[in-house]
Amino acid sequence: MADFWMQSGWLIPAYGLVGAIATLPWSLGLVRRTGQRPAAYLNLVMTLLAFVHGVGAFRRVREYGSQELNWDWFQITDLTLHVSFELSRLSLGIVLLITGLSFLAQFFALGYLEKDWALGRFFGLMGFFEAAMSGVILSSSLFLSYSLLEMLTLSTYLLVGFWYAQPLVVTAARDAFLTKRIGDVLLLMGMIALSAFAGSLRFNDLYEWVKVADLAPLVATLLGVALIAGPTGKCAQFPLHLWLDEAMEGPNPASILRNSVVVTCGAYVLIRLQPIVVLSPIALDVLIGIGTITALGASLVALAQVDIKRTFSYSTSAYLGLVFIAVGTEWPGVALTILLTHAIAKALLFMSVGAIILTTNCQDLTELGGLSRKMPATTVAYITAGLGMVGIFPLGCFWGYTLGIDFFWQSQPALVAVFLLVNLLTALNLTRVFRLVFLGAAQPKSRRAPEVAWPMAVPMVTLVGVTLLVPLGMHQMDLLPPWRYINVTAFVLLIASGVAGVAIGAAMPLSQALARSTQKPLRILQDLLAYDFYTEKLYRLTVVGLVERLSLASSWFDRYIVDGVVNSIGLASLMGGESLKYSVSGRSQGYILTIVVGVGLLVLLTTWRMW
Amino acid sequence: MLPMTNTLSPNLVNDHPLQPFIERLLKAEALLPDTEINVLEVVGILKSYGVVLDAYAVNLKYIADHQFLLLFPFFKYFNGDITLNKLLKHWWHDRINYEYAEYCMRTMLWHGGGGLDAYLDSDEFQQNCDRAIQAKLKGNWLMQTLHRLFPDFLPEQVRQSAYYSGLGQFWTVMSEMFLTLSDLYDQQRITSIPEVVAHIKDGLVAAASLPITYSVEIRGDRHDLLPASAGLTFLMDTAVPYVEAVFFRGTPFLGTVSYNAQVQQISPDQSRFAYGALYADPVPVGGAGIPPTLLMQDMRHFLPDYLADYYRQGLRGDEDVRVQITQSFQKSMFCVTSAALQGLLPHPATTEVPAEQAANQAFLATWMDRLMSSRLAVVQLAER
Amino acid sequence: MMLSALILIPLVGTVIVSLWPHHRPAKEVGQVALLVQVLSLVGAIVVATRFDIQQPDLQFVESLPWIDALGLTYQLGVDGLSMPLLVINSLLGAIAVYASAATIQRPRLYFSLMLLINMAVAGAFLAQNLILFFIFYELELIPLYLLIAIWGGARRGYAATKFLIYTATSGILILGGFLGFVWLGGTGSFNYDATLAQSMTLWQQGTILIAILIGFGIKIPLFPFHTWLPDAHVEASTPVSVLLAGVLLKLGTYGIVRFGLQMLPDAWAFFAPWLAVWAVVSVLYGSLAAIAQTDMKKMVAYSSIGHMGYILLAAAAATPLAILGTVLQMVSHGLISGLLFLLVGIVYKTTGTRDLTVLRGLLNPERGLPLVGSLMILGVMASAGIPGMVGFISEFIVFRGSFLTFPVPTLLCMVGAGLTAVYFLLLVNRVFFGRLAIALPSDKVEPDVMLPPVAWRDRLPAIALALLIVVLGLQPHWLSRWSEVTTLAWRSPSVAIAQPPSTTPPSMAGFAPLPFTPDVTDD
Repeated sequence: MADFWMQSGWLIPAYGLVGAIATLPWSLGLVRRTGQRPAAYLNLVMTLLAFVHGVGAFRRVREYGSQELNWDWFQITDLTLHVSFELSRLSLGIVLLITGLSFLAQFFALGYLEKDWALGRFFGLMGFFEAAMSGVILSSSLFLSYSLLEMLTLSTYLLVGFWYAQPLVVTAARDAFLTKRIGDVLLLMGMIALSAFAGSLRFNDLYEWVKVADLAPLVATLLGVALIAGPTGKCAQFPLHLWLDEAMEGPNPASILRNSVVVTCGAYVLIRLQPIVVLSPIALDVLIGIGTITALGASLVALAQVDIKRTFSYSTSAYLGLVFIAVGTEWPGVALTILLTHAIAKALLFMSVGAIILTTNCQDLTELGGLSRKMPATTVAYITAGLGMVGIFPLGCFWGYTLGIDFFWQSQPALVAVFLLVNLLTALNLTRVFRLVFLGAAQPKSRRAPEVAWPMAVPMVTLVGVTLLVPLGMHQMDLLPPWRYINVTAFVLLIASGVAGVAIGAAMPLSQALARSTQKPLRILQDLLAYDFYTEKLYRLTVVGLVERLSLASSWFDRYIVDGVVNSIGLASLMGGESLKYSVSGRSQGYILTIVVGVGLLVLLTTWRMW
Repeated sequence: MLPMTNTLSPNLVNDHPLQPFIERLLKAEALLPDTEINVLEVVGILKSYGVVLDAYAVNLKYIADHQFLLLFPFFKYFNGDITLNKLLKHWWHDRINYEYAEYCMRTMLWHGGGGLDAYLDSDEFQQNCDRAIQAKLKGNWLMQTLHRLFPDFLPEQVRQSAYYSGLGQFWTVMSEMFLTLSDLYDQQRITSIPEVVAHIKDGLVAAASLPITYSVEIRGDRHDLLPASAGLTFLMDTAVPYVEAVFFRGTPFLGTVSYNAQVQQISPDQSRFAYGALYADPVPVGGAGIPPTLLMQDMRHFLPDYLADYYRQGLRGDEDVRVQITQSFQKSMFCVTSAALQGLLPHPATTEVPAEQAANQAFLATWMDRLMSSRLAVVQLAER
Repeated sequence: MMLSALILIPLVGTVIVSLWPHHRPAKEVGQVALLVQVLSLVGAIVVATRFDIQQPDLQFVESLPWIDALGLTYQLGVDGLSMPLLVINSLLGAIAVYASAATIQRPRLYFSLMLLINMAVAGAFLAQNLILFFIFYELELIPLYLLIAIWGGARRGYAATKFLIYTATSGILILGGFLGFVWLGGTGSFNYDATLAQSMTLWQQGTILIAILIGFGIKIPLFPFHTWLPDAHVEASTPVSVLLAGVLLKLGTYGIVRFGLQMLPDAWAFFAPWLAVWAVVSVLYGSLAAIAQTDMKKMVAYSSIGHMGYILLAAAAATPLAILGTVLQMVSHGLISGLLFLLVGIVYKTTGTRDLTVLRGLLNPERGLPLVGSLMILGVMASAGIPGMVGFISEFIVFRGSFLTFPVPTLLCMVGAGLTAVYFLLLVNRVFFGRLAIALPSDKVEPDVMLPPVAWRDRLPAIALALLIVVLGLQPHWLSRWSEVTTLAWRSPSVAIAQPPSTTPPSMAGFAPLPFTPDVTDD
């Protein structure tokens, strides 16, 4: 019984699923006379159980080492599909992060959604969401990971679509699903190919196979690109990044998770796939390319956003771009450090954003101001999250940045520049938003701004503590590099880039109206960034347009050519039109007679030789 | 908040698109057609609303008086009566959704308007507020530090408490008014919509100058936060801002309107908001992101039998009862609005003086402008 | 006699129902028909429980000489290919009868025709004699024609006649093919025999195969023989659509696998690359056409065309895994399309329209159809191949089984799987999301939308199918176990002509456009 916590590790994702199923009486409207809050409490308890179980297993994993739980889920001919989990310090650590943040986000939702009635559905989806996420992290088989990523796609669709009566939610949910689905289908193609080439889909077997694999370069490249497509969609990377912006139509507590741990799940799968992607150097370069474009592009786009949720969602894409770069350069340690520290800081940032939205009924940066004196928890949360996100020693994201810069120092100085630039732009954006929201004079919508109630403040303050304690925790888990490895120049450069960002952000003129500039070139640039390089229009003109045209063309072809030929031959009109018309009024005898005679004749005609 | 001045030239009057409604109001009729079913729906729903409002009002006043500046008001909905049984019911969500009352309170606070809002920004209030905060924080160095760091944090909470109390006092009056209405209907002393409106109008006029005051007791000392000397009164300082904030403006529902700043679906100017009770679409009620669902859910428990029967005769029976309640509620709110407008007319409706008639016309015309996009047209229909 | 019972039960039922006394209440007719269908479902389950899954060959064989001159023997048997289809036939048959309106016009005729279809399809799956199969295949045509022509929508005459002409053509071709088997094969017997074609030349086999492919291709249907299907679905009532999509189309795929793949192995292997291309065209064409549809039923119908293409792909690849995939896909398509048609039927019954351009917001919890909407989301997700439901594992097996043989066609078919998400998401988003509406917005002041409630009786069959879809998705082994041994035992002809098995790493050749033999066009 000593390793009960480990042996039953598969339960960790199951808790959330049980919670989700338990909400059905409320979400299906079977319980109508009383309210839906019990569903919320049930899910909070289940999440807490998952967290506690995770802690138990995490403590045992030191003693017993990593452990794999494996079931042959489906076995047929030469194909075996495994459901297998790996409980390692890393995976359990991330699971703790996920369940912990999920608990806090759900707690936060108790306050944020207190005037919403469909709590049963919301918390059910959150439970499902959490189950899928912890499953993805624990999974040690690509088949299971893929299946759970699809579950994430589905639950993202349903969570973004939570307020399904709102018109923009409708398109946002659709785009979130379809964009991720593009990545998923490509990943499925890669997985099918891998399964056919390598036999097993367990990661360990795949890693063994890679050593002996002998693929043609083109095949390897296609395979590599297909494999990274899934995470590209999940992590909102260029060119599949559009959905995250739109997904901000969803409820904020879900946005907290979406911007922190959901993207982490996608990136984690990428890290697990990386030893397979290395088969193709081109695919690795593609990763670096995608990461660089997204990191820089999204950082710039974030600067031009007027919507408080969207500006930070682009920043999520940017950070995940850094992760992609780290994976592409085969530094998974850097990737993980950025992932985990970013997740905590970004979750806190989104909690703060949620508090602002609830209090002011407004997401527009230009209509806010002067909140800092009235909302202590929110302000402190924002500042802490901001510090945690940029490379400020010794808080979280500093370490990811410094490790990355250190590793690229010799070989890829261009990437050092990317890291520094992203840090600078992030600091600048955070400062800009801080000035707009918290400083300055109050505007009509932020004039009366009592701080949020405790169900929202408590998770926020808790997470402030966690963010501040991250370096300590990293030290405890030996995740911090020893002092002597710290590259002093890199250290100084990193701090300097952050300070420069803050300084520019503090000094730049901020017209509250954020009016479009009167200078034409500047205005064009502003619009270009504000509308995300017009990616949506680009999609509309290319992929969406193509599918639309093709579908209309096939439909037209079907109606006028395929069907038209048949009808013009006159077969249908001959029989259907005249001879049978009179009997349509309901005299079935006529029909039967015609059919029987007709079929009989046919049979007779074709078998006449036999008689 | 109310435009009291006549800005229209006299020769432009009497051709408002909603002129028939202006004339109805001047004839002491209502914005809602006078039919038997409408009377049944309006009185029945106001009966249930009266019960719910009473519960809301009691709780709002309790929170204002007894949960003053508590950071963790765990039991704020218990009204001081904490038993295991009540706790279990609370957790099972078998209770009044007081969250809705707080939502209305916050909406009112956010939109502001009226004397209460103005008083909360006065120096006198600031001083009273400071004294109360100091008394409350005595010996609590942690909170004192926080207060020093964020000097507007606690005063803002006190302003909120003032609104808790103010709305509670307003609803206490309204609740009694609605319950009396129901009694009169049961005794068949009220049988038509104009009578309903007259009852509400008389009630509003009678209560118009009731003082709105608020004080809290801290360690045995009473601290006046809204003293009687501030001269805040029922009609102009709570009723009118309430009608403005909740009936007309409201807040955009997350379930139907996008908050996305870039698409600008929400006006930057709050006075142009039209998300209130007179505009709301009943069909999405019961779904996600529609706060009034909470109110409708509360009212379903207190429907008089005749109204519950009427609902059950609908095509969907009990299944869409919250939508049906919303429809009736909207009708009743048009009656309350009728009463309020009649009560606020600058001159008696029956006046013969042309200048006064013109002023009345202009007054109603400005309100009708705002009702153009409301559900006024739909509540005229006879079908469900 | 066990298998004969599966034919006799609905046959006797047909007689009872059609002769049910006229003075009895009309609703009893439906109840009796349901009882018969449940009995036949129980019968199918009994057969399934006695079925030995370790045995690759035909089981429970019954044989009676009938008309010697015709080579017609009453010979029945069941193997791993037909076993799951038999159960699905009885299950969807029962659901179709249950889902029929209690107030239907002329219930005696209606329900006896329903039972007749059940009997004919069971017979066709059980038949082990070509002529016997043909008789059942033709027998099913008449009741279906009548069901569309009498109880159909406004253009029922046109749709029914079109269906009749197409299917009759299909019948002629199939009969021609069958006759060819015997004439060219040189045996006097029409009994199924995998060695029947051994003595034929490739040219002879090919000729027969073309007749059979087009014959069954009409039934499946495959592009370009599909246009009867959308029309038939649109005009057919909901229960008939469920039967048509869930069961009758499977006769086509069953025929292709049984008579093409199994009985004409050499020609099959020869044509396989072309069949894979045909599958791709069908999949993409069906999916793309589905996107442009504005009638919910038409959209589901075109989606069927796309999804049936996967079966052709897998049959063309003909690896053991792929053949198993055909069975899984047949069953899962039966369940999923059955569910979708039931749900579309409920929407139509409640709102009076299926038009995607006017329906909005049906998820509305008070006045909409929230449960139907939730089931619809589940159904379309299953159809789009979301894991956890039976559609995913079937498609996975199909693609995995076909990949090494036909890499490019397989990948293209997977694009079709992606397109499924597109059109079905459009459907769900338009019809179920947004503000509730069943007509275009107008300037007129109208009362709020009011829809009649959906009875639990109507929801029940959909819930049952949804549960089945999820359970089989989580435990696919419960489905695959019936066919595993049978499909494994089949020799897999095209493996020889195509790619080496999975042990050797594939080379670039695997990604060359198509691995067909160069001299194909010369023939």
